[in-house]
Amino acid sequence: MKHFISARLILTFFLVLSLAFAGYSIYYKIKYWGFSISPRQNANVWAIEAHINFLADGSPIKVSLGIPRKNKGFKILEENVIANGYNTQKYDDRIVFRTKNMIGEQDLYYKIIVFDNITGKDKLKDTAPKSPSLPDMDEQQLAQARQIIKLSASMPGDDTAEKLVNFFNQEPLHPALKSYLPVQYTPAVKLKIMQDILAVEGISSRTARGLRLEEGQKITPDLMLEVYIGGAWRIYDPLTGKRGLPDNFLLFQRGGKSLLDVEGGTGSSVKFSLQKSITSTMNLASQRAKQSKKAGWFDYTIYNLPLAQQNTLKWLSVFPLGILLVVLMRNIVGVQTMGTFTPMLISMSLVKTGFATGLICFVAIVIMGLIIRFIMSKLNLLLVPRISAVVIFVILIIHALTFIGYNFDIKIAQASVFFPIIITAWIIERASITWEEDGPVNAGKELFNSLLVGVIVYFVIANDYVRHIMFVFNELNLVILFIVMLLGTYTGYRLTELKRFAPLVKKVN
Amino acid sequence: MFGFFKKFTSAKMLRAKGVLGMNTRNFHIISRYNQRRLYPLVDDKVQTKALALQYGLETPNLIGVIEHQFQVKNILSMVKNHTEFVVKPAHGSGGKGVLVVKSFTDSCFTLASGKTITYSELYQHISNILSGLYSLGGRYDEALIEEVVHFSDVFKDYSYNGVPDVRIIVYKGYPIMAMTRLSTAESGGRANLHQGAVGVGLDIKTGKTKKAVQHNLPLTYHPDTHADLRKIEVPFWREHLLIAAKAYEMTGLGYFGADIVLDATKGPMMLELNARPGLAIQIANGLGLKKAIKRVDKYYPSGLTPQERINFILR
Repeated sequence: MKHFISARLILTFFLVLSLAFAGYSIYYKIKYWGFSISPRQNANVWAIEAHINFLADGSPIKVSLGIPRKNKGFKILEENVIANGYNTQKYDDRIVFRTKNMIGEQDLYYKIIVFDNITGKDKLKDTAPKSPSLPDMDEQQLAQARQIIKLSASMPGDDTAEKLVNFFNQEPLHPALKSYLPVQYTPAVKLKIMQDILAVEGISSRTARGLRLEEGQKITPDLMLEVYIGGAWRIYDPLTGKRGLPDNFLLFQRGGKSLLDVEGGTGSSVKFSLQKSITSTMNLASQRAKQSKKAGWFDYTIYNLPLAQQNTLKWLSVFPLGILLVVLMRNIVGVQTMGTFTPMLISMSLVKTGFATGLICFVAIVIMGLIIRFIMSKLNLLLVPRISAVVIFVILIIHALTFIGYNFDIKIAQASVFFPIIITAWIIERASITWEEDGPVNAGKELFNSLLVGVIVYFVIANDYVRHIMFVFNELNLVILFIVMLLGTYTGYRLTELKRFAPLVKKVN
Repeated sequence: MFGFFKKFTSAKMLRAKGVLGMNTRNFHIISRYNQRRLYPLVDDKVQTKALALQYGLETPNLIGVIEHQFQVKNILSMVKNHTEFVVKPAHGSGGKGVLVVKSFTDSCFTLASGKTITYSELYQHISNILSGLYSLGGRYDEALIEEVVHFSDVFKDYSYNGVPDVRIIVYKGYPIMAMTRLSTAESGGRANLHQGAVGVGLDIKTGKTKKAVQHNLPLTYHPDTHADLRKIEVPFWREHLLIAAKAYEMTGLGYFGADIVLDATKGPMMLELNARPGLAIQIANGLGLKKAIKRVDKYYPSGLTPQERINFILR
């Protein structure tokens, strides 16, 4: 009895300690760093990281990237460059990195924190262009281009350009346009063709690039069409034909120049990471904190890491809560699930696939897998090859579902790609063995229980508030750790045992 | 809605009754009194058998062990001097993967259930055992070939198509609770209570019926054979208890379940031991294990021989 009491005492002590630490830390973060409990307050603050990558070939390097410094729609709160061994120069609309002979892979980072500047919306500065030179077209193409302009006149829109964009986006494509466009084309090619046609009409146009502000990694910028009509530049979304900038759109580069130029290197690319930034709220607040002596702390936290890493950590820091739930369900409630953390894995997949789609998909895969497994059981295969065969079958089922999903445009089926294959195969194997040994009722019960716990965990870890809080106040994970350990000393009855052993204390009629 | 809650009782009531819950069993009993390194002694039936021989405990005689896939066909040379035999996995539990062969000819084997299987089907079965189909955690396993137990007729009327055995829970060397599990048509000849087998709690001093339950509900007659369950009295009860008590010295486990069968000529034999015995025995007895455990902790002397412990219980 003694070792048990002392274990519980020690753990309780640590739990209290971690609670006190978390309490203080949360207070500190809110007070000095300006973190907020709600994820919504940061909605208009964005951290954007441009990652330039190329292979240096040994000659002097000049890298030039279009940047949104002149942008009126957003204000830049902070600007950071990580480029070791490079000289950087910032101009109004570009940043230039220069260095001498480098060899090998080069990684340059340009990181800005911006927030919405509502008053500056749609006020793009204008300089009148020269009238456009006629594009390089033969007579037939010229005639076709004029025909397209003529045809597009009947489209909705205020001006020639808007009508033309709408004409290009019409479904199905007009035959005249179909024969004009190449068989396969990228959005950039399509935009270029629109510009050519506009040039035939004597209308100046150019491309602009920018980012839709949505959280994500490795984003490529969107193209926009700028047209000079009525003495002013007008901007169009070439995908929708809408005039003006979309909401939450940050222009990186205007005026038809390229986004990235690299001299002295090959295979260059620029990828953007975006995060509705916690860093930024901290930065707003840390500027205040920097005046006090508590500023230094901030540099040693995870919130100072590159955004890609922060996004990963954000995803990870919600798991301890899910694990706590699994422990509660198993040891306190007494739900029997398949394997200890199968529910956890199910819920993780559900987050990736979306709830309803994921659930339907999972059930479909398991049912199909079970049917195949039953057919296979007639063959009496040995254990390891049998499970391996189930794994391969699961992969094939996922192939089929994804194919069907794509061709018939059923989003549900495409989600199947995200299920952990090996785990799904084991679930099928376990279910079929339970089915054979303890009957379909028990197998169904076990499957249902695992799914139920998975769904409960899903609703917790998919919640925006929970994810925000667990990441921003990550010291809470320490508290969860000690709660889980303390639960390891819980020796009371499980909830299900109150029912199981009820016949022992009750007169049952 | 309320009907649902009526099925529940309160923790307070269970505590008053001394019911042992899963968490308490794992935390206070198993993790304290059963050292992990001792588990292989009971999880591996080959080791259990060897130990039993050493300690003079009666178990079904071993005919042979098949360890590798290439030895599967050796079974023929092993059983050539026998007319009947049992094949079982060394790491199995709950009777899974057990095959009882009653007779065999040049072309097929006849099982106790009356079914006949071909030679290749028997090889396949042994092969499945070796690849771990019936073992805990699916690890590679060995197949045991044993002599058949000729069950005493005492239980004949009480069991439908199955093997009645007596499960005795032993704590610190003292048998504290016992039951016998009788298979039914519903349980498919298996002795698992949650599949619908009848659990009969046995008085630890006499081996007589205390209470019988099926699906947690009390009953008086076997649902298939209609035998009066109240009249069960296990013969050689003292010998049953003695086997269970001796297994304590043999394994060093502080808490385990001993499964004992009654052979018509050789008397009680130890079939297998379980280091994590289930809790359903409490329902069959209408008693809580915790109460019995406390009684042993408080009043039962330690340092006695198995004989002395049984004398103490039967005093």
